[in-house]
Amino acid sequence: MNYNILDYTKYRLKPKEELEELFKESGEIFIIWCKKCYKKFEEEVPECKELNDVLNNYQKKIIACLGIDFLCNSYLTKKKINELIESKIDIFGIISCGLGIQTVAKLIGNKKAIALSDTIPQSGNATSISGYHGIALEEEKCGACGQCYLEITGGICPIVECSKSLINGPCGGSKNGKCEVNPDKDCAWVKIYERLKKQKRVFSKEIKIRNYNKFTYGEKSKISFVSIENRKEGFYGGVHPLQRKEITENIPVEKFPSPEYLIVFLSQHTGLPAKPIVRIGERVKVGQKIGEIQGFISSSIHSPVSGKVISIEEKMHPSLLKMSLAIIIENDFLEEIDPSIKPFSDCENMKKEELIEIIKEKGIVGLGGAMFPTHVKLSPPKPVDTLIVNGCECEPYLNGDNRLMIEFSEEIFQGIKVVRKILDVKNVIIGIEENKPLSIENMKKVVDSSIIVKELKTKYPEGAEKILIKALLGRVVPDRGLPFDVGVVVLNVATIFSIYQAIFKGTPLFERIVTVSGENCIRPGNYLIKIGTPLKNIVDYCFTQNLELDNFKLYMGGPMMGIEQKNLDTSVIKGTTGYTLIRKSPVSFSRENECIKCGRCVDVCPMELYPLYYVFYGKREMWDECVNYNVKNCIECGCCEYICSSKIKILDFIKEAKKYANNKS
Amino acid sequence: MLITKVKELKEIEKFFNGKTYIFKCFGCKEVYFPEEEITGLINEKKDKILGVARVDYLCRKDFSKLYIEKNISYIEKADFIFVFSCGVGVQTVSKLIENKIVIPGCDTYYLNGFQGLNVLECDCQQCGECYLNYTGGICPITSCSKGLLNGACGGSKNGKCEVNSEMDCGWILIYEKLKKIGKLDVIKKYIKPRNYELYEKF
Repeated sequence: MNYNILDYTKYRLKPKEELEELFKESGEIFIIWCKKCYKKFEEEVPECKELNDVLNNYQKKIIACLGIDFLCNSYLTKKKINELIESKIDIFGIISCGLGIQTVAKLIGNKKAIALSDTIPQSGNATSISGYHGIALEEEKCGACGQCYLEITGGICPIVECSKSLINGPCGGSKNGKCEVNPDKDCAWVKIYERLKKQKRVFSKEIKIRNYNKFTYGEKSKISFVSIENRKEGFYGGVHPLQRKEITENIPVEKFPSPEYLIVFLSQHTGLPAKPIVRIGERVKVGQKIGEIQGFISSSIHSPVSGKVISIEEKMHPSLLKMSLAIIIENDFLEEIDPSIKPFSDCENMKKEELIEIIKEKGIVGLGGAMFPTHVKLSPPKPVDTLIVNGCECEPYLNGDNRLMIEFSEEIFQGIKVVRKILDVKNVIIGIEENKPLSIENMKKVVDSSIIVKELKTKYPEGAEKILIKALLGRVVPDRGLPFDVGVVVLNVATIFSIYQAIFKGTPLFERIVTVSGENCIRPGNYLIKIGTPLKNIVDYCFTQNLELDNFKLYMGGPMMGIEQKNLDTSVIKGTTGYTLIRKSPVSFSRENECIKCGRCVDVCPMELYPLYYVFYGKREMWDECVNYNVKNCIECGCCEYICSSKIKILDFIKEAKKYANNKS
Repeated sequence: MLITKVKELKEIEKFFNGKTYIFKCFGCKEVYFPEEEITGLINEKKDKILGVARVDYLCRKDFSKLYIEKNISYIEKADFIFVFSCGVGVQTVSKLIENKIVIPGCDTYYLNGFQGLNVLECDCQQCGECYLNYTGGICPITSCSKGLLNGACGGSKNGKCEVNSEMDCGWILIYEKLKKIGKLDVIKKYIKPRNYELYEKF
């Protein structure tokens, strides 16, 4: 797609005479310039040529030049210039639009800010203060008058299009359809007349008077305040997608019918896949170990049903999205239980090492989606002082963790006690988003005073480990670091529940709660599903028959971080939090769309990255540059792609850049 | 930065006499969008509505064109097209569907900061001749309700503006700031009248 992109909010250097006067001042100047927004993102033009030409005359006075993207973003700008503020430099020259200059002037406090640029007015109309808005770089402008007249004028705005902003018809001064104030401009009222004619309408005769006091200062500052505070809440960035949790919120957990065949993947965790220890034709029982740990970061696999192993073959893996080895088991519905499933006697007095051994043996992995083996997480190489129990479930549609906290709060508390013993920590915080009041209430009821249940404002991606640590403790996990680097271990409530099951019941991890929800879902709910249940069974049971995936997208997980499933010949794995069916947007996301540098992705990135650069360099396959922009820190939460005004598939570029970075290291 | 508020029901109610098609812009997410009110209104008038399109960034012509093409069969049957978006979105739709009556469902208001990045604490009116050098980085045009360039009007009381008692007097803020950075003498400089012609030039 080719956009006719207009250059937008911009600045230009002040006239030469004025600059000379400004540079006359004593002292050396440090120059900060904004890399501009709302323009086609081009091959970077650092320290624009024209700028250099002018500044060359004053070279001796200039310490250095620093270009910053979106200078008006005070949070990120502050981080970048903090060192400068604390240094000896006391005069800053700023080249930016008025917003950037004011932001920096505020940040540098007692030091002097010199404005070296003027903002270019975009409104083209003296009577409206701000007719240059809208996210897209199109010609339409809105003067934000607060009393939209577009209905009576056929969709042409008289406030910004008419030089005099007349709202009751033309002034009478236009000639040949041109404005008398500015002969280059079409008369807005002639245009309005023509448009109304097309709609077989005439202008209504009712006389209107514009009310300039419709939006009071008080209202405006209140909304601004609320909006700014909302954005700052807990952590920088984040988005508020529609939650749609109400679909399955109040549906109790129920058992999903046991399938005839199960596809149990050997790779259901981060690290090396498990080694199969059953042979084709062998009979297995419920809970019998069928895959053995291989290597340090790995996990074991257990049979969810009793029956016969009929094949060990490659199937489409739902999260790796490539063929991967799986054990196919034919269910005999006898539910014969393996003798290894029995409660451990004396689990209260077990030693730390014994408990970790059980967790390892029972195949427990992180159930939030990352599937990191829990026994590895529970043996951190650094001292840990806090355990965070993650009950945020910030993904829209999903309710598995929520139901778990409502129905099994006592079990979760027992599980927390076990983990607390293993890690030997005093501080335990359960973080739950405030959109789950029942969970909060239930958890508060069961836990003792040593555990804090913390309500968090609902904001995506609150549930991502690093973000949660920031929101709860204010600690920042270093670049490429892990939570234990800041003395924290984060475990999902579902993981805690499965730890409880393993220790107190002896049950290995072979089933989990999965939310099935979304559009065209006839049986939405929170199901206790056996790992290995074919996706086809779930689709047939929960969604309308003969589901056409042409118009819909089926995600494993939620719509934000979920993985699209195009092939139904796959199954539930330990990391399956849910299945969500979403209607495809009529506008297709593509890689080719052009970035207009609106800066929204920077505004919402919770990891404080600059996603627009991944697109820019990704398109040119300059992956090294992406690495320089810390692509490895990206948590792939999808906020940037969600908000992108050009609908660019930013995550595609990020994934590729990450792959490159991993191969390199 | 633009935000929208749904128009009063009595203003737009009459248009629900005919068949309507609705566009809801969900673009400037994370700013301020009266989603609930609009959903409420749509539910109330259900039987008159042919269809609802929730569009991301209605103002992006290439995208909204695709939405319109996709739903053209409904749109053609409609008597009115309702657009719940800022003024830019309404104008975009009416340009794309010139022969239909397009009704704005919202009024648009202005918040600090330009489009794009979220609402800001400071504001710029793009006057074209930046005065921030003489005012310690506080804009006299946006922080004084009269936009005065050569000092306070004399009407402020206890540091508050006489036009709006909730608002701080911009010139007192400027005075305090200049005092803090030891540049109080700058305030004595005479500033030439503002050149409004710059507005027309671009």
